[in-house]
Amino acid sequence: MSESSERAGGQPEEKRRGLGGAIGDLLAPVAGFGVTFSNMFRPTVTEQYPYVRHPTAPRYHGRHQLNRYPDGLEKCIGCELCAWACPADAIFVEGADNTPENQHSPGERYGAVYQINYLRCIFCGLCIEACPTRALTMGNDFELAGPTREGLIFTKEELLAPLTQGMLGVPHPMVEGTTDRDYYRGEVTGPTADQIAWVERERPEDPTLEGARQAAATKAVR
Amino acid sequence: MTTTQPAPTGQVVPLVEVTIDGVRTEVPKGTLVIRAAEDIGIAIPRFCDHPLLKPAGACRQCLVEVATPDREGTLRTMPKPQASCTLEVSPGMVVSTQLTSEVADKAQHGVMEFLLINHPLDCPICDKGGECPLQNQAMAHGRATTRFVDVKRTYPKPLAISTQILLDRERCILCQRCTRFSDEIAGDPFIELQMRGARQQIGTFDSGVLGFAGDAPVGAAELDDSGRPFASYFSGNTIQICPVGALTSAAYRFRARPFDLVSVPSIAEHDACGAAIRIDHRRGVVLRRLAGDDPAVNEEWISDKDRFAFRWQVAADRLVAPLVRDGEDGSGPLVETSWADALDVAATLLAQRRGSLAALPGGRGTLEDALAWSAFTRVVLGTNDVDFRSRAYGGAEEADHLAARVAGSGLDVTYADLDGADVLLAGLEPEEEAATIFLRLRKGVLAARTHVTVLGPYLTRGSAKLRATLLPAAPGTEAEVLEATDTFGASDGDRPRIVLVGERLAAAPGGLTAAAALAERTGARLAWVPRRAGDRAAVEAGLLPILLPGGRPVADESARAEVAAAWGVTPPAAPGRDLAGILDALRAGELAGVVVGGVELEDLPDPAAALAALEAVRAAGGVVVSLEVRRSAITELADVVLPVAPPAEKAGTFLTWEGRPRAFAAVFDTAALGDAAVLGLLAEEIGTPLPDASMPAWRGQRVAAARLDAPAPPEPGPGQAVLATWRLLLDAGRGQDDEPHLAGTARRAVALMAESTARGLGLQGAAEVTVRGPRGSVTLPLVLAGVVDGVVWLPFSPRERAGAAALGAQSGDIVEVTA
Amino acid sequence: MVGIEEKAPGFALGTIGDLVGLARKASMWPVTMGLACCAIEMMATGGARFDISRFGMEVFRASPRHADLMIVSGRLSQKMAPVVRQVYDQMSDPKWVISMGACASSGGMFNNYAIVQGCDHIVPVDIYLPGCPPRPEMLLHAILELHKQVQSTPLGLNREKAARAAEAAALAAVPTHAQKGLLA
Repeated sequence: MSESSERAGGQPEEKRRGLGGAIGDLLAPVAGFGVTFSNMFRPTVTEQYPYVRHPTAPRYHGRHQLNRYPDGLEKCIGCELCAWACPADAIFVEGADNTPENQHSPGERYGAVYQINYLRCIFCGLCIEACPTRALTMGNDFELAGPTREGLIFTKEELLAPLTQGMLGVPHPMVEGTTDRDYYRGEVTGPTADQIAWVERERPEDPTLEGARQAAATKAVR
Repeated sequence: MTTTQPAPTGQVVPLVEVTIDGVRTEVPKGTLVIRAAEDIGIAIPRFCDHPLLKPAGACRQCLVEVATPDREGTLRTMPKPQASCTLEVSPGMVVSTQLTSEVADKAQHGVMEFLLINHPLDCPICDKGGECPLQNQAMAHGRATTRFVDVKRTYPKPLAISTQILLDRERCILCQRCTRFSDEIAGDPFIELQMRGARQQIGTFDSGVLGFAGDAPVGAAELDDSGRPFASYFSGNTIQICPVGALTSAAYRFRARPFDLVSVPSIAEHDACGAAIRIDHRRGVVLRRLAGDDPAVNEEWISDKDRFAFRWQVAADRLVAPLVRDGEDGSGPLVETSWADALDVAATLLAQRRGSLAALPGGRGTLEDALAWSAFTRVVLGTNDVDFRSRAYGGAEEADHLAARVAGSGLDVTYADLDGADVLLAGLEPEEEAATIFLRLRKGVLAARTHVTVLGPYLTRGSAKLRATLLPAAPGTEAEVLEATDTFGASDGDRPRIVLVGERLAAAPGGLTAAAALAERTGARLAWVPRRAGDRAAVEAGLLPILLPGGRPVADESARAEVAAAWGVTPPAAPGRDLAGILDALRAGELAGVVVGGVELEDLPDPAAALAALEAVRAAGGVVVSLEVRRSAITELADVVLPVAPPAEKAGTFLTWEGRPRAFAAVFDTAALGDAAVLGLLAEEIGTPLPDASMPAWRGQRVAAARLDAPAPPEPGPGQAVLATWRLLLDAGRGQDDEPHLAGTARRAVALMAESTARGLGLQGAAEVTVRGPRGSVTLPLVLAGVVDGVVWLPFSPRERAGAAALGAQSGDIVEVTA
Repeated sequence: MVGIEEKAPGFALGTIGDLVGLARKASMWPVTMGLACCAIEMMATGGARFDISRFGMEVFRASPRHADLMIVSGRLSQKMAPVVRQVYDQMSDPKWVISMGACASSGGMFNNYAIVQGCDHIVPVDIYLPGCPPRPEMLLHAILELHKQVQSTPLGLNREKAARAAEAAALAAVPTHAQKGLLA
């Protein structure tokens, strides 16, 4: 202490620091604790995840989703542009033929195999920008951790949006008299009676039939 | 890049000076403007132009502004832009491309706009999207937005013009590359332009589209005997040269996008032609194969078999782990085991029986594999009992022929020689057995540089496309006919003569001798064309009982000494047994085991007898070790099965029929080992490491080819005929497994005979005939054709139904024919 | 009285395994193992806002001897791989590994010669965490997943049984050289 005060005395600019000397050194920790102490009266910033979940930003890049048209057909046409755009090579798509018996999306082609490797994905969203039919979008879900590498390769079943009320499960034919372009323009607003009849004939047990019938009936009334 | 009209050899072509975009250049007279521009690095956009096809000027995308000097020498600009792909250069011509001329640029923009009017906007789902010249050039030379507001012309799509080729007429820009290829190169003009104006479209000769009655085309198209529309062995090339996605492959449809694929150059493994291919794969799976560009071999064309048949390499019956017999005594069923265990078991079994073992290495391996087999047989097994010829024919005469005239002869007759020669084909049907030879011959024939003479029982459609002269010969009489022939060809000796003998000529006793004699008589060069990719390499490696590597005769002491000096081990001195001898010795118990490499029982002269021989050797405590890619009939008879890699998973070198080495790299880096690696490991395990068996060609005395006199030709009795048969390009071969789309383009299986033969056999008006051989009978539709009298031709093993293979008879055997 | 479970009984029944699991998961100390940008998020997780001291793991130990959790946060370069392995080896058993972020888990977008294509090539990974980088909540989620795993880790004979089952499953799995698609 005496050494340091001697040195302080030898250097005049040090004196200008404040109270100076021994008293200054003595009070320095108090100032530090002051910061701590004053923070005790500030609001707590700790987020209580996982008990309290703060919503992410609305356009947060979370888990992907493969969307559907209102009648239940998939929007994905298996064009692989998402896979092409992907800088991390995390997407694997294989297209296949839509046949009258096995129509998954409007048009000629649908994505038969669709996988996203979440262990490569960097959530950059380039795939979303590349998608020509807006089939692929990103949600806000981020709880993706898992114990295996295989389990974090999400397949089409995991990525495909669930059928909402009124949608008809695929495969089923397109709305009669429409083209893929009509679908894209939003001119198809729900399953039609012919589509429902087709599914009734091919898969009488399909759980989405009831909802689709209701939706078609409501629309007919309107 | 090859020019469209190569200069006739020996003539000096005058040079013409032209100016393109201000650059003065001199090109040979007759050069097209678009090529002259290419030479100085100016790219003019084009769709219909292809360097190997005749100019068409169909797409008009290559419009340029051209000025030529008039009589006084003043430059006069042509009133309209000209198509540079059909315009030949003239002295003093001044060409302005889109780079320097606003007129040309505007014209090209206009053409592009017209081309896109009816082109659908389905690039995201089009198989061509990403490698599409139209897409690329629309980006480079097109407008950013469309001015077209009306409804586009649409067609139902896709239209399957064969099981393999799908046509999407909406996307077609009518460049006619496909029709020109089919007509000019393949000779199968089954697709053609139809209709007029806006409704003009490519199509097969469909009576509905053309609007004429009856089901036969009125055009000049030849219908093949299948009656199928686009039944061409080369149809896949139209997909590759289509500048838009109008022609696509059913097998590859929607499987991948080009920007996802990794391309590896490789060599086709289905025949001995060594066609360059490009293998496109993605994430461990081969998705398609395309023709490579090799002017010296296949130019830019490959057969559909080379293009579409590749899934056999990953078929469900592919062996992935070594198999050994379960149980203490080795009599149980085959079970999977580790490599260490399998090598240990195989080494023990083989080492115990050293000295009484033989090898049947098959003819599908690379040069490296063949050399390893050769060294393994001589050094480890200690024998000369080795024969690669796992096929129904080929005895001592063929072995002598190969030793005397083929082994170590290097590159003699080449593809380039075939273009500009009088060629005699004996025992060879190039369209079916060597497609690349067929295309090269046809190129020469169409240019009137080549003349083809075919020795065979009838003028096949393939030969007709070669405008060939037929030397009619019933099977078994080939030697006689060749001996009676003094000359062939149409040029009186101005052109070089070439005799191409196919491996099938060995089925006719004396045939090879007679062919060699004819070649000597006429001053022709002789070349041997095998069917399998590895046959020539097997000959070079000495996989014959009388031959060591490089064409060294086993019987020659100095040759053996050379081998001993190179290998450090003296090869056995006694000539070994050939295929038939090995099978006989196995049956008789003279041999205690055999190492088999990828041999199909069905290929052997008598599959039942071969099966019995292998069963006999195992029953007598012998050993069968098999090196295979996929499970086969031999697998079930083996004590140890060692899986080997298919061509996609190993690197190596195929030798073409010419003797040209065709090296290729592995497509995938898998755990599978090639034959050479497996044999090396096995030899190490036995304790005799394999030497590097490659040796330079032998310069010393060759085996003297035995002169074999032709035996009396077969004489069919009443109700009988002589069988003629060969393998078709597309048949039941295991190399074409899992390819349903390809199988649909195969030729229909029919029995062919002359009308007189049919009358003699009492078969007038019969729709089907039954042919009976020693082991069975087949019934096939009867088609009357110009076959030699007394001969019935059957396909060897078509996929859809049984062929000659089921008869137990060979070409030249007598079979019974009934209605 | 309805539902005894609503009342605290004053004592709890459970296996030793449960108790050991509880002890292990509630006092996990991570080793300081920041490799790249993910480490920033890892540090944020340790800060006031996300505060992993709520789970008893606020002390990032500088010595592997004191730690039982390694969070591999960031791309693992070939040069760093032996170091990471050595640090892992120096940790005392029982120890766990979280592979944080795309690069640590699979190489991420750095599919090149310099980067190990997944830190599971050198250390056994218990939890893989996607993200580039994962936000602190994602890391917390991964930690909680790990806690669940640790809580249910079997002991003694059960542990041997589980190990044997895992071995059998690994033998039955598709070997790496035969994997197709995204695993290739």
